[in-house]
This record gives sequence, structure tokens and C-alpha cells, in this order.
Amino acid sequence: MDHSHESPAPTDAHDSHGHEPMDFAKTIRSYLKVGGVLIFGTILTVAVAYVPWMQFGVHWADTTLGLLIATVKVSFVCLLFMHLNHERGLVYKVLLFTMIFSAAMMFLFVLAYLDPIKHAILD
Amino acid sequence: MEIPYTVTARPDTGLYNAKVGIWLFLASEVMLFGGLFSSYVFLRIGSDFQWPFHELTVLPGFINTMVLIISSVTVVSAWAALKARRYGWYQINMIITLLCALAFMGIKSFEYAGKFSHYSVIMHDGTVLDGHPVHESEGTNGDKIAFSGVQSFSVKLDKSTTKFMRHRRINAGAGQPFAKADGQTVRVRTPSGVEAEFTESWLKDLKKKFREIENTRSDLATLRARVEAPRIRVEDMKRAVTGNFPVPFDAAKADTLLAKHASLKADAAPEIAELEQKIAEFGKSEAYKDATAAVLKLEVVGDPLTFVLNERDFGKYNAGEVIFRDDVVLTGQVQGDKIPLMADLIDLRDVKDPEKSLAWKYYPDLKEEFFKHRDEATAAFLQKKPQHANDYEENADWKRAALRVSVDKLAPPEVAKALMKDPAKAVGIERSDKRFYSNFSPSRSPYYSIYFLMTGLHGLHVIGGALVLGYFLFTGRKMYLSNPEHLANRVEVGGLFWHFVDLVWIFLFPVFYLL
Repeated sequence: MDHSHESPAPTDAHDSHGHEPMDFAKTIRSYLKVGGVLIFGTILTVAVAYVPWMQFGVHWADTTLGLLIATVKVSFVCLLFMHLNHERGLVYKVLLFTMIFSAAMMFLFVLAYLDPIKHAILD
Repeated sequence: MEIPYTVTARPDTGLYNAKVGIWLFLASEVMLFGGLFSSYVFLRIGSDFQWPFHELTVLPGFINTMVLIISSVTVVSAWAALKARRYGWYQINMIITLLCALAFMGIKSFEYAGKFSHYSVIMHDGTVLDGHPVHESEGTNGDKIAFSGVQSFSVKLDKSTTKFMRHRRINAGAGQPFAKADGQTVRVRTPSGVEAEFTESWLKDLKKKFREIENTRSDLATLRARVEAPRIRVEDMKRAVTGNFPVPFDAAKADTLLAKHASLKADAAPEIAELEQKIAEFGKSEAYKDATAAVLKLEVVGDPLTFVLNERDFGKYNAGEVIFRDDVVLTGQVQGDKIPLMADLIDLRDVKDPEKSLAWKYYPDLKEEFFKHRDEATAAFLQKKPQHANDYEENADWKRAALRVSVDKLAPPEVAKALMKDPAKAVGIERSDKRFYSNFSPSRSPYYSIYFLMTGLHGLHVIGGALVLGYFLFTGRKMYLSNPEHLANRVEVGGLFWHFVDLVWIFLFPVFYLL
């Protein structure tokens, strides 16, 4: 599919911020590498879930490792696919608030679970 | 007026409009899914049952993870291709992305279909039998309740409808005792001897007449109450003279009230007479005769009726009656109400005394093998973890290994296959033994509720994202030729959403399938 005869000239073919000209082949290669890392991470997650951690006395290992690997994978997606490794300030501000509110929400859930008010009254 | 910064970035923020929008939207999405993940944690730590562990088949989830990762790579590559002004590359990558979305939803539907066709019976003693029931067909009532010999039924004229008739079956002979009765109406005889087709319009007409009579009666009652009110007030005054808190009798007031009563009575007399006349006529009229009482008992003209019912179709039933929620009552006999189940798994983790489990009432031949398996599993468990020698019976891993056994481990392959697949080998579970019977739908347990909620919501995100990306692919050409950077921005924003969808799945997969 060669559309070069009708394609607009890539004169402004820069990365998302228009500073560096984009090396297409190199960019695609880097995306493929990230894809490879994600696939490897997925295989690792499945493998980790089938290790009999109980035998080694670390029953919490599968959950911890599973979520840790997932977090690493998510970081790769966020930083490289969603370009958060070179985004503008406003985006980070929005995400900072998201983090704060998410943490606050989790904290509320934990509070609801521990139910300190009930315990304060009953004790 | 042209909207600024749709293509170029605003100098102070460095962002174009859509990017600010999508990040705000994704921030709200993080909160949405964050709340759901918290709910999952809550349900799990607070669960009063054995939380399913490795119960979902990992392979479809694993393949779906791969599919989403590939689509993430292609969607970001499609954007990069637009930036490099390679439209062909853009198209190829977008097509792969959409195919991945299609594959993802296909695999997901396959998984859901498997869940919906798989059933679970939970007995009163905690015994769980998973398997496939025999479904209703023309030859059998399957796992539904067959109720036959219905020669009469009653309807309530202020409430009932003819909806229950959709569960009627007819005997079509030759191994088809439960053929569908589509379109065939039933003839009924009313208490007054009228014969009619039992149709919705016929019942509606009777209900209308019943309402008319009720309204006339209530008009008469209201009118009488208004006329009698002053007289009743005087009666009250007379009683109050000798009460616990005596009130002296006010003769003047009583006279006024009685005078008012007399005048009201005289005024209302013609209207009361008219209404009384009307009610008397209702009783005499042939057309209104059957509508005078709220409950109408109807005799079936011709052969008795047969119904095949799901438990959720009615309110309650006993050996001789089915009572629907709209107060239709069928009189007849239960012909068959057992649940024919081809069990593939026996789970006794919640049974106090597994030796006496209700499972052995239905599968006595598997009992010996089950406990042999349990003892082997126990030995293996204790070899791995001798420290649990005294408390292994409380251990969730031991319970899973020893008390939750699939049928193919309990019988020779041929026998097990027949038990799990051959309708002739299905056991008839008595309804009085079961506490819960359903397929693996959200009602199965809180685990399946949140599983369907979260994966379903994620699936909707996949569909939404695919629609947007598909729109950019199929209508993007014109914009590419006029303003390629604008199209690149659109694809970037659509891609950001797509990555978020991938990101949610990266957590969903281990949480539901692995941990």
C-alpha cells in the first residue's frame, strides 16, 4: 500500500512535541521491545501463580509478585505507550490529583473495613 | 468562529484540547475502576465462603492478555505511522488493532457462554455439585417443573394476567409430551356457565367490568359515609357522656347535626337509590355476573392442561397447586420436579461431616473413591507442610486439594465421561435438598458477581474503544489529506484510551484468573 504519491509531505513529522524529528523505524522497534517486555511479564505472572509458594513458607508471594509484575507492566504502558515519559506539566498535575484521590478512596475503604468508630464506642 | 488548539498545542500548557480532555476522562476512569478493585478486595477479605482460586480457565485469559498487548503495540505504531506520514502503515496497524479487539471479545463471549451453560447446585448441608443439567425439550421437562392435570385455575380480577399461559405445553404424542403450545388458546367455563376462549382481551374485558362494579360500590359507600357522618357524630357525643373523660351532652349541637343528617339524607336519596339500582342490575346482568367477585374460578373445557415452569416463573408451589406472583392459582399435580444433573465436580468444603454429605445420596458409587482421594491429598499436603499436622482441616489449600474433586478423578474414564455427559446417567436432584440452583451467572456468588461486573464493564470499554478507532480508520482519509496532524492527534487520544483499557486488563487478569 504505497500512498506516497498522495501523502502530505512529512515536513512537520516530529514527535508529539515537535522538537526532534522522528525516526520511524527506530520508534516502531522500541514499541515492539516494550510489547516483548509486556508479553514476558504476562508469562512471568502466570508462572509465578503456579509456584507452590506455600511450601517455602511465603504464602503471600504469589499475590505480591503478581501485583508487582502487573504494576511494572502498567508502568511500561504508561511511560512508553502513553508517552508519560515526556508529557507536559498539566497532565502530571491531573494525574497527581488522581493519585491523591485514589489513595484517599482506598484509605476510606480501609477505614470502613477497620471500622474505628464502632470500636471506639464499644471498647 | 474557529476553535483554537484543536491541532496545535496551546503554548502555555503544551497540550492540544483533546489531550487535556482525554487525561481528565482517564483520571475519572481510574477512580471508577479503582473503586471496583477496592470492592473486590472487600468482598474477598469479608467473604463467608471459600473464595474461588484458580477456578477460571487461565488459557483464554492469557490469550486475551496477549491479544491486548499486541493491539497496544499496533495502536501506538499507527499513531507513529501518521506522524511519519505513512498512511499504509497506519491502516495496517489500525486493522490489526481492530482485529485484536474482535478476537478479545470473541474469546470473552466464549468464556461467558461456558459459564452460562455450567450449573451449580448448593444443597442444604453445604454440598456443592457443579455440572450440566438436562434442559427442557419436547420430550422432557428437563430441570424445570412439570405441572399437569390442570382442570381448573383461578384468576384475580384486580391483578392477574394471562402471562402464565406462555408456560403451557401440549402433548404432541410419540415422545413429545411437552411440545410448545404456541398460539393455541384454551376454552374455559366461568362459574355462571359461560364458555369462552381464555384470551387477554377476554380477561381484560372482565377486569374492566370488575373495576366498574368496584367503583360503583365505592361511590355508594362514600356517599353513605358522608350522609351518616353527622349522625355518627351525635352517637359519639352520647357515648362520651359516660366515658373515662366525660363530656357533657350538647343538645343544641346534636339537634343541628341531626337536622343536617336529615337534609343530607333527603338530598342524597335519589343518587343512593340510583347506585343501589345499578349494583342490583350488575348482579342480574349476564355480562357482569362473572365480574362481581375478585377471584374468578375457571374450569378448563376439554383436556387438562400441562405447564412447564422455571422456579422464577411463579411465587410458590406444592404437590397440588402453583401460585403465580399475579395470584393466578393452578390446581393439578406436580408431574416431575427433580433436577436432572450430570455432575462434573463435587465440592464438600462447606460440609460439616463430608461422610454424611447429600452428595452420596446421589452418587453413592463415588463415595469410596472420594475419601481415598481425600486421604491421598491429605498425606501429600502433610508431607509438604508437616507443621500443619494438627490444624490442616482449617487450611484453605488442604480443603481445595482434598474436598473439591472433579468427577473424572473419582471413576474410570468411561464411567466418568458417561456421568458428566450422558443425559441417561443424570441424577435427579430433589428440590427439597437444594438451597441454590443456578448457572454460573452473577447470582452464583459474590466472586462471580464482581467477575461479571468488572470484566463486563471492561468489555464495554473494548467495544467503545474499537468503535472510535474504527471510525478514525474508515473516515480518516479525507482528514489525512487535508490535515494529517489533526488525524494523528485523534489517533493519539483514541490510543491513550485504548492503552488504559489494556492497563485495566493487566490488573484484571491476575486478580481474577491467577491470585
